[in-house]
Amino acid sequence: MTDHKAGKIDDLLREALADDLPPDVAAGMRQRIERFRSEKMTGEAKPSTVAWAWLFRRGVWAALSILMLVAGILLQAGRSSNPLTDRISTVKAAYTGLEAPRR
Amino acid sequence: MIENSRESTKSRTLLRWLFAAAFVFAIIMSGAFAGLMNKAGLLYLVFGSVAAALMGFTGREIATAFKMAGGAAGTEESLRVSAHFWEAAARNAWILGAMGSALNFTIALGTPSEGIAGISNRMIQSFIVTLYGLVLAVVCLVPAMKLSGQAGKVGRPASVASGGLPLDRIVGHVLFAAVLVLTVLFMIGGQPQGGPMPIAKVLLHGPAILVVIGGSIALALFMGAGAGARAWTLGFAMTGLVSLLTGLIQALLGFVHRNIAEIASACAFIISASTFALLGLVAVAGPLEDREVAEGRRDGPGILSRLSWVLFPLLTFIFLLLTFLMVVTPMEKPGPGM
Repeated sequence: MTDHKAGKIDDLLREALADDLPPDVAAGMRQRIERFRSEKMTGEAKPSTVAWAWLFRRGVWAALSILMLVAGILLQAGRSSNPLTDRISTVKAAYTGLEAPRR
Repeated sequence: MIENSRESTKSRTLLRWLFAAAFVFAIIMSGAFAGLMNKAGLLYLVFGSVAAALMGFTGREIATAFKMAGGAAGTEESLRVSAHFWEAAARNAWILGAMGSALNFTIALGTPSEGIAGISNRMIQSFIVTLYGLVLAVVCLVPAMKLSGQAGKVGRPASVASGGLPLDRIVGHVLFAAVLVLTVLFMIGGQPQGGPMPIAKVLLHGPAILVVIGGSIALALFMGAGAGARAWTLGFAMTGLVSLLTGLIQALLGFVHRNIAEIASACAFIISASTFALLGLVAVAGPLEDREVAEGRRDGPGILSRLSWVLFPLLTFIFLLLTFLMVVTPMEKPGPGM
């Protein structure tokens, strides 16, 4: 097909499919397009929101668990006072023949 | 003909169990092993095992497992679940035995007693619960081995949808909590207590709880959802193991520094961390793994889970022995940190 013939077909199509829609039909179409776009946007947002919420919960748990772990290690390293520790100190001191250490 | 053969198998199995029960009863009544008697530990182990079974299996699955151990015939699926039930029962008995020792050890050390000899006696008595757990585990392993041999001949079953948390499993959790509370009350019975909730303060060792729970959740999260319940088994076992080693190193440093407070802190950490790691294994990870197998989501427990179930209670027992030695070993001269 030559360029000349292609140009003629284009002109013919433009004439046949001229933008002559009545205003109410055009408005209806615009509304439908808007509705379709908004639905698509909401549909896309839902899974991402769920995923973010899931990630957020997971992140919270991860942070919380690490905090607990670190707090436990620090407390143990600092030899915080505890009834069981105090009792063992007393028993150990008794075996050694000494007074229990004071904290 | 087939019916007669089945009846004969049932009778022989029943006879074997009755003979074993009579043998155990005769040994207990003879008084030859009176030193090995720990009533609170025995009751805790029996009722704890029942509760642990209910946490992981439904009443119907448990009844079927007992019937199949008695020689009854069943479907391929029930054969596989029954074999796993008996393996889980052996696992629970072994873990509960070690946990009972740790719990008993804590109470022996944490409550006032009649002198050093009394404390030592109670600490040694606490090791008997592990022995009970081992014996019960061996008894449960017999039907487990027999049924798993038969189940190995059948293929992998189709996955069964989870039916949520049935009533018998809720009952199992409640019963398990009740058994723990009653055991502690039974163990401290008659002991003088000072202050508000003193035994709770002794048992709830803050640093050990934080490390075991925090570490287990972190490990389970990092392993991801794909690992399923195995992540929890490894989480509790690995955190427990790290805690045991940390406590041991701290105690040895205490001996080097000749610091009684440091040694006591390390011993308390070892006992409490092992108790909470074992509690997590038997009350959280074990039932979750049981449901995965019973619902056909997995063929059976993984090799690492099985290793954890066998080795961690054994290590706990060894570390409790070491703790006992560290407590009763006198120190020649205290350092300046005392």
